[in-house]
Amino acid sequence: MKTKISRTLGTIAIAASLAISVNAQDAVEIAKKAHLNYYYAANDGLAEVSMKIVDSKGNERNRRFSMLRMDEADGGDQKYYTYFYEPSDVQRMTFMVHKSAAGNDKRWIYVPAVDLIKPIAADDKNSSFVGSDFTYEDVSGRLWTEDNHTLTGEAKLNDRDVFILESKPIKPYKGFSRRVSYIDKELYLPLKEEFYDGKDKLERVLTAEKIETIDNIPTVTERKMQNLQKNRYTVVSFTSIKYDLGVKADLFTERYLKTPPREYIK
Amino acid sequence: MYARKNILVGALLFLMAISAEKVVSAQGIPINGFVQGLWGGRLQEKNPTSSDYTASEVRLQLRMEHNADIAEVFARADFFNDEVVAGGNDWELREAFTKFTLLGKVDFKVGRQILTWGTGDLIFINDVFAKDYESFFAGREDQYLKAPQTSLRSEYYSPLGELALVWTPRFTPNRTPATGRFSYYSPMSGDFAAEPFEVPRPAETIRNSELAGRFQKTVGGMAMSLYGYKGFFKNPVGFDFVTMAPFYPRLNIYGASARGQAGGGVFWLEGGYFHSYDDQCGGKPGIPNSNIQGLVGFEKQIAGDITANIQYQAEKMLQYNRYERNLVGSDKEDEFRSLVTSRITGRFRMETIILSSFIFWSPSDADWYYRFSADYKLTDNMTVTVGGNVFDGIRRFTDFGMFQLNDNLYARATYGF
Repeated sequence: MKTKISRTLGTIAIAASLAISVNAQDAVEIAKKAHLNYYYAANDGLAEVSMKIVDSKGNERNRRFSMLRMDEADGGDQKYYTYFYEPSDVQRMTFMVHKSAAGNDKRWIYVPAVDLIKPIAADDKNSSFVGSDFTYEDVSGRLWTEDNHTLTGEAKLNDRDVFILESKPIKPYKGFSRRVSYIDKELYLPLKEEFYDGKDKLERVLTAEKIETIDNIPTVTERKMQNLQKNRYTVVSFTSIKYDLGVKADLFTERYLKTPPREYIK
Repeated sequence: MYARKNILVGALLFLMAISAEKVVSAQGIPINGFVQGLWGGRLQEKNPTSSDYTASEVRLQLRMEHNADIAEVFARADFFNDEVVAGGNDWELREAFTKFTLLGKVDFKVGRQILTWGTGDLIFINDVFAKDYESFFAGREDQYLKAPQTSLRSEYYSPLGELALVWTPRFTPNRTPATGRFSYYSPMSGDFAAEPFEVPRPAETIRNSELAGRFQKTVGGMAMSLYGYKGFFKNPVGFDFVTMAPFYPRLNIYGASARGQAGGGVFWLEGGYFHSYDDQCGGKPGIPNSNIQGLVGFEKQIAGDITANIQYQAEKMLQYNRYERNLVGSDKEDEFRSLVTSRITGRFRMETIILSSFIFWSPSDADWYYRFSADYKLTDNMTVTVGGNVFDGIRRFTDFGMFQLNDNLYARATYGF
């Protein structure tokens, strides 16, 4: 009698843990797919980016730059090249990132007024990108393998069916303690992401404001990041998007940091 | 009176700039730039300089660029009213160059340009391009530390590495602070002086042109470079006892550097052998001896908003006993010299407030120079800056000790368009 009960309980426990692992597997797959769609679209990409930063008093600041990206492998290393048009004090500056999936990213800046190439000593991926509410990591992405994912439910968001995914950093991380993503079931793109701080208070909310299909690739062309605790936000919009230009790796070197490749950057 | 006129001119230029949202030339080439006012005052009353101001100037910079398929053209000129030294209106072509590529492998940049290489942060060993220490001490923007020169730069890219050659037909020296704006210790009089001095440049011959080269190769993320230079000391460090006048002695430099990322930061190493061509045996009293120099530095982001670096530079004079034997006067330099520097930069409130501190301290010379600034970006276009420069030294003839009467505070306002 006793053994029968324990055996039954055991079976239930195994079934439950199986269900959890299947769920976890799904969750990881969803996270991976969304990450690749969001950050690794095509093999390379070029866009003109406008950024509007609005502080708690309503003061507005604007940035405008071109951004060129090349993937070495999906989910692997990437290279980014940024050329600034506005504001005036950063005009003609260039910025390059060699993103390493395994180790630390490398960053360089070129200041044309003094013809200076400078590697940037910045290992903190959570620092603000050009004074906006986006961090460097928001721009280039946090690998799905750095978090544990749980599928917590499904819902409708703006008339779209979404998976609700909760991600918690595997290693202690100051960027967030918990992130809740609402991922479009059809497009596998995050429509909304909520970042919770160390005290589990909602800190930042990222929303996809506009999605367009460019070269058959669904692309989030307008993103908004709100910082609820600081009562400020940043909106970025991407225009003149081009994919699969056949960008070569040697473009992401000091030579082109000094002399922008004019076939891509006007 | 003068200051009032200056402010009026500034206000007028400022209004012109903000009323012209997008300035475009007749050919449709956009024009950008800034209008800037700078005012600085001395902290020491006893001073041989004639003005209490270290700066009182208004500056308009205009930039234009044109990118054609075959070449890129860029020009930038400053129009300024400087009341401390120039005493009125003046202008300078900061840059005007064209860039083009031949055979896909060689990049040329020809014309008036600003050049930089080497690894140090405000310490230059192999960077032999013209500097402007007058601007640096007066509170002008950091970009003014680099003075323009008319040169031809070619860069050849191959799988083996990158070879850059810079030919400057006419020797372009550093701009010294001895323009009347700052006082300095004069070994001639044995006291502080403020008289501007003009030093004749070497004759305009091909032999007197400057040639600088660098070969660079990136290995495992580390940029390794070799350098060479044939030209002159960039400061008038020679003294002719016959004509009793300073001059630029000949100099060759051979050096190397490495820079890479490690320990969550950036580190750099650089060294150079300064071959004093006009005094190869080290016995001429009016010409510096040859020396060797080394530099090591490390920079790291120490908090989310704060980056700090530290550098150590050492220098050894060669043939020191001959220097000692032939020394004229009592201002004796040390055989070994060292310099420690540290920069701390904080960027706060989403990079709208930037605080910067930079200290140079020489344990061997027992002198130091401290510069600090605070920038506040009111809008994307408008930045207000306050800062200062403080010098001190035990001895009067050392690098920073000689400027010890020039402590100043300044305020700067910039409107970019």
